[in-house]
Amino acid sequence: MTGLVIDVGPLLPALLPLLGVLVILVVDLVSPRLRQAPYAVAVLSVALAAAAALPRVLQGAGSSRTSFCAPASATGSPPTGVGPMATQQTCFWEADSLGSALQLAACFAALVCLLLAWPRPNARVAGPAREPLETVLLLTALAGTVVVAASRDVGTWLVALELATLPVIALVALSGARRSVAGSMQLLVTSLVSFSLLALGAALWFAATGSPFLTADAALSGASGSAATSARSAAEAAGSTALIALSVVLVLAGIGFKLSLVPFHAWTPTAYEGSSLPVATFLATVSKIGALAALLVFLRAVAALGTPGLVATAVLAAVSMTLGNLMALRQHDVVLLLAWSTVAQAGWVVLPLVSVSSLGIEASAAYLLTYVAATLVAFTVVALSAHEQGSAARSLTAYEGMWRRNAWRAGALGLALTSLAGLPPGVIGLFGKVVALRPVVAEGWVWLTVVAAANAVLGVAVYLRWLRPIVTSVETTTAAPAAADERAAARAARMPAGRRGLLVVAVAVTAAVLFGVSVQPDLLLGVLR
Amino acid sequence: MALTLLLVLPLIASVALLAMPVTSRGERPLALGTSVVTALLAVAVVAGSHEVDVPWIRSLGIRWHFGVDGLSAALVLFTALLTVAVVVHALAGPTPLGGSRATYLGCILLVETGALATFLARDAILFFVAFEIVLVPMWVLIRRFGDEHVRDELRADAAGRFVLFTALGSTLMLVGILVLAYHQGTSDLGTLAQRHGSGLERGTQVVVAALLLAGLGIKVPIWPLHTWLPSAHTIAPTAGSVLLAAVLLKMGTYGIVRLAVATVPQGVAALSPVLAVLGVVGVIWGGLACLVERDLKRLVAYSSVAHMGFVVLAIASGSETGLQAALLGNIAHGIVSALLFFLVGDLKEQWGSADLSVARAALRDRAPRYGLALVTALAAALGLPGLVTFWGEFLALYAAWSPAPDRPVVVLRVCVVAGAVGLALAAAYALRVARIVWAGEGSEDAHGSAAEAVRDASGPRWGVVVSLLGATVVLGIVPQLLLQVSALDVVSMLTGSGR
Repeated sequence: MTGLVIDVGPLLPALLPLLGVLVILVVDLVSPRLRQAPYAVAVLSVALAAAAALPRVLQGAGSSRTSFCAPASATGSPPTGVGPMATQQTCFWEADSLGSALQLAACFAALVCLLLAWPRPNARVAGPAREPLETVLLLTALAGTVVVAASRDVGTWLVALELATLPVIALVALSGARRSVAGSMQLLVTSLVSFSLLALGAALWFAATGSPFLTADAALSGASGSAATSARSAAEAAGSTALIALSVVLVLAGIGFKLSLVPFHAWTPTAYEGSSLPVATFLATVSKIGALAALLVFLRAVAALGTPGLVATAVLAAVSMTLGNLMALRQHDVVLLLAWSTVAQAGWVVLPLVSVSSLGIEASAAYLLTYVAATLVAFTVVALSAHEQGSAARSLTAYEGMWRRNAWRAGALGLALTSLAGLPPGVIGLFGKVVALRPVVAEGWVWLTVVAAANAVLGVAVYLRWLRPIVTSVETTTAAPAAADERAAARAARMPAGRRGLLVVAVAVTAAVLFGVSVQPDLLLGVLR
Repeated sequence: MALTLLLVLPLIASVALLAMPVTSRGERPLALGTSVVTALLAVAVVAGSHEVDVPWIRSLGIRWHFGVDGLSAALVLFTALLTVAVVVHALAGPTPLGGSRATYLGCILLVETGALATFLARDAILFFVAFEIVLVPMWVLIRRFGDEHVRDELRADAAGRFVLFTALGSTLMLVGILVLAYHQGTSDLGTLAQRHGSGLERGTQVVVAALLLAGLGIKVPIWPLHTWLPSAHTIAPTAGSVLLAAVLLKMGTYGIVRLAVATVPQGVAALSPVLAVLGVVGVIWGGLACLVERDLKRLVAYSSVAHMGFVVLAIASGSETGLQAALLGNIAHGIVSALLFFLVGDLKEQWGSADLSVARAALRDRAPRYGLALVTALAAALGLPGLVTFWGEFLALYAAWSPAPDRPVVVLRVCVVAGAVGLALAAAYALRVARIVWAGEGSEDAHGSAAEAVRDASGPRWGVVVSLLGATVVLGIVPQLLLQVSALDVVSMLTGSGR
């Protein structure tokens, strides 16, 4: 591979977390008993990565920064051009504004997870400290997510996607007791199945297009190659179009596992319940961003073919929403409620993808970002409550009268829940629904819009179940919350102030972001075009 | 500037009220001052025909576009003035159990914000957002401050039903808006009204109209989508019932005129027979329910279904008179239902329930002010000439008898006959209530606390009732006050020419 042009600038969001990994490993070698140092390094490297991704997000629509570029002649693309595209060089890495927005969101979410997982200082543990391992796994998964959003060839794409997944399995296994092992085992098995589907899909892509690149160029050369080179017959071209369609279905199924779409969702509640809150937050946000980024890289290449939407996508979206909402209606544990809500929201995320076009792809990314913004707030508030009340905070009844006890925190949680439900004051969630429904309407999927409308209502019912105890006043509740308050005060007295401060910062920052994008939705929706 | 302030002021005040600690005593001046200033701003905005139009969400092409015209002027004024009445009424009496007064008032002002934004919105998606704002505060009003005499599950059921029905309606409406905006390439209501459906095939128009009418019909409510209304009205506290009946239901009919009639006229014309029949079924259904209903508050709620049926019938006629009748009927029902809910809410507060089968002392001799107000309100409810509802209902029937040329005359005339029967039913149930509550039929059986007379109306609450009575009479004598405000805009909307 001579003549490969490497521009380091766009690579920084991926390189910085990996650099952080190296530093942490070195520090651990030198002084294995340090507990907070790995987290400090991790936070610093993720923050720098986010800062490196920011300029790419702000760049205008259409423009992008590339790296690992090979001259056009050396890539094996067809000699006779398919328009002006062929004159461009082919690159293994492309950071456009949409991919960079996903990268930035992943970095932000990872930062919040690190704050939530910050270790207690001075706590005594037997054996070597676990913190270096946790941070290394988290940073590696983040790096995988960042790479997959910018990768443009099958090999990098596949490896990066697994890099984003496998460390999370270890994180789940490490994070708790016996239940977490069950969760991680389920996650491992589903990941293996998912990987095999993805590998098969990638192989079919290569067979159909003859190109390792996940670009519109490659898709066009595979599907309409006959127009360019008379050597290939029309039948062959039709065959490769069918192969591309098949590979899309396989990739969709493979990524369906990672996005927890029904019927590939079974691991979600177990894994969320078994793992600690920071890891569950990571699963709910960064992992979802990585999975969707991978899907969008693939679909963007396919979109050039102008294929009609897949019924498979529509069915997955409809079933995920419905089952997720119905199951969420039955939960009394807030983490399980959020787990099932993830399933339902995943349905909303893939809903716009029934239109395989830039409209659908941008809508899907936009909806995911609104979901991430709201879910981060919900998880941070749960983490803060769990810090004060222990495991009692995972039950819905623990939130009775929260509005009177702690108005700011209840306001943040209320904003997050209304965003997820798509009601004002969570204006961003409302626009998320508008954006997600637009491509569906534009393509004329009538039955799907009806299902989506029904699910919008079910979703309102789900989140109002949690909102109701929050706004219930203390006077009408029993003495239980009061007792919980006392316990909380006792716990807080034992706890050092530092960790609580970090959690409060996490709540404040995520809530401020959610509030900001609710007041001016363009901040979030605008980055996508 | 005044317009943005009109929307932002109640919003900020409501947030401040909601965030206020329980011990604070500042809620009284804050809520009262805000509602009064908002009402003054509303007068200024309507008088000056203000408009604001700045970019908001560029990526979706949505502008911060609010403005007032003949269709919305009366509703904006009415909403702002009624909120003052609601706040005065709430401050003059005990706050319902379930939370602090600051929260109660905050929710009221938040509902006002949403309603004003809905009436002022000049962009279809903005309209949808504004339409949704009222949901959560109204849910809190019903869920937390609802009737304390009923079981908690009933409150949960009423509040949940209200939210879920309305959310379904607004999502259907959103889908309709998106289809419309996709085909027309804009969501600006002014442009959409000017195009007047040109460039849309008839089939598309019918689909859009069906989605919009179904979505908004839940809010109106049009029979058979009304099942959320009786329980929500009955359980809600007085302020909630008044705002629901007088303001929130109007968002539905106003939305039908603004969103559906103006933008997809052919679609609405195609569906007008269905609309007319459902409207009249609502009239009859509501009237019959009122004849047998035992709960006075629920009875008033059913009468709302009947009155809104007339408004729907007027819209279905498609003529200029019909739309005028619909807009007049909106305000008329707003005034009368607010009056009735204030009165019934006060009586229920003293009685402890609103069960008509319990024998109670008559209002006629023992509480003459309540008696006078109740009889006048009931007379208005049955459409007595000289009171404001008469014009709305009379014009509705008149317009439906001679509808626009593209409407099925026979169907509409049958509906008119049925609607006239509905008027007779209205007279019957109004007299039934007057007989029991006012004249005191069976009051000799009353015993215990029920035999004691209620404390008669006085103070600020009586002031609220008197001003609504005044509005009923004045607008009943000179309906031109309202009709001439909307006349020009109705014509331009029906022809699709901009003003």
